[in-house]
Amino acid sequence: MILAASLSSLIFLISLVLIFSEKLNRSITAIAGATLMVGLGKILGFYSETAAIEAVDFNTLGLLFGMMILVAILEPTGFFQYLAVLSARLSRGNPVRLFVLLGIVTTVLSMFLDNVTTVVLIAPVTILISEVLGVNPVPFLVAEALLSNTGGVATLVGDPPNILIGSAAGLSFNDFLVYSLPIVLIAWVGALFLLLWLFRRELAVRPRKAKSVSKLNPVETLIEPIIARRVLIVLGAAILLFFVHHILHISPTFVALSAAAVALVWVRPDIHLVLKKVEWSVLIFFGALFVMVGGLEATGVLDALVGLFERSSNIPPLLFGVGLIWIVAVLSAVVDNVPITIALIPVIKGLGETGIDIDPLWWALVFGAGFGGNGTIIGSTANIIVATLSEKTRTPITSKLWIKRGLPVMMATCAIASILYIIIYPVF
Amino acid sequence: MNIKSCMKHVVVSIPATATIRETAEVFVKNHIGLLPVVDENGNPIGILSLHDLLTLELPDFVSFVADLDFVHDFGAVETTRPSAEALNQPVTVLMETTITIPEDCGLLRAYAMMLQHKLYDIPVVSKKGKLVGIVSHVDIGTAILTGWYSVE
Repeated sequence: MILAASLSSLIFLISLVLIFSEKLNRSITAIAGATLMVGLGKILGFYSETAAIEAVDFNTLGLLFGMMILVAILEPTGFFQYLAVLSARLSRGNPVRLFVLLGIVTTVLSMFLDNVTTVVLIAPVTILISEVLGVNPVPFLVAEALLSNTGGVATLVGDPPNILIGSAAGLSFNDFLVYSLPIVLIAWVGALFLLLWLFRRELAVRPRKAKSVSKLNPVETLIEPIIARRVLIVLGAAILLFFVHHILHISPTFVALSAAAVALVWVRPDIHLVLKKVEWSVLIFFGALFVMVGGLEATGVLDALVGLFERSSNIPPLLFGVGLIWIVAVLSAVVDNVPITIALIPVIKGLGETGIDIDPLWWALVFGAGFGGNGTIIGSTANIIVATLSEKTRTPITSKLWIKRGLPVMMATCAIASILYIIIYPVF
Repeated sequence: MNIKSCMKHVVVSIPATATIRETAEVFVKNHIGLLPVVDENGNPIGILSLHDLLTLELPDFVSFVADLDFVHDFGAVETTRPSAEALNQPVTVLMETTITIPEDCGLLRAYAMMLQHKLYDIPVVSKKGKLVGIVSHVDIGTAILTGWYSVE
């Protein structure tokens, strides 16, 4: 069993290193790692194909898939551009006001939709608005990524780690609204003010053509208003159902998939185009990671980790939770937070079996994985997207700049979360 | 009919040592859309279109935002000029690889080449590779259309 444990750990660690170093695409790495794990499991007798399929959390995959379909139908309607251009109009060319408005738009969108899609669609329009105004787009782009990462932590569907944790721990949409949203709200306001201060010099520059934004017409960006309205109605109904899903005894996954089905039937889009926009690489990455971590679990590696944590259980549980926030945050800043979350879920579950109260630990994992991604330029996909886009402009975002702006935001949000965590700990 | 019959024989070109600022002046003075870049022996080593120069001033968002109809005023972009530093660079930083056609090239082939390479003008070379002329899409297009007169 020692051989199985060490070989399976080796597969997982090599995969993490490959994903981190970007030597190999993360989905390809995960597929290869999962296959190796199953193969090794069959040879050494610790894992089987049936067990591998059982390790896949179809709840998470279904929820992600359903939301991806909704976004894929909404995306070409121009709704995202509409909101960005509307923010520009309402800002009347004042950079600080524009900064706050675009921050709010990206945050609210990413609370219910995928952060990556939100940033992919808002960032190009942000560059347009900045150039028309004659201001540097970098502060706006960095803030959009950071605030959408932060906002996503607030809800069950806002961020993939939340979906994973919610599914594993049986947390409902409302649990997130009660325990996560208030903390995220305060952390978000803190992040916004910190960003306004960090970018104070760039935002103090008076736009050369403040009036030109008044000639941007948001209505003209709505290419398909009827489709946009239909998808938004379905999305709104889905969000209402999320609030009561536990009362109706239906899973958030069922809500998301039904919403996708209703939207597809009502809008009847070209299904090939919609399916092309679904991020299969993400779904495959998740599926393969589940298989890999399932193998780790089967060899008892994760039990050993549980034992390790248990031995340190003389640490007060409160300190343990705060420590977990920071450890997960630092890990999430340098590696993708999804593999970390998927690997830590069975460990926390295992700790629960030893009699430790793990409810607070789930929330520590949520905050650490969510806020940690802000720390570096590679910490989250949203960061990578705005950075890559800015590289094609005259004002590229460097990893050094990200450390100067993103790391303080990560530290501040984690600190705020830690303090509030300690205050409301008895409630968890 | 081939290219030789419709091309312009006088070709304005610039040396590879010219700066972008000097090149811009040549474009303005001659009111042209394409300049071959030549080495000291007069052999073409690259081409530079008006568009290549204008990318220095064109805003970044044009390449990201597919539909620009809603932007009724380009605002600050309209009055943004390239930096002195950018203008003093050698012309070779913006230069594209040479695309030429031989002087005996057929009209339709020449026109298709231009479409494919998104060019409005194309340099013409002799069999020995010497620059002998330049032809615009209007020169070629109208030359092709004259063939329609004889269609009964």
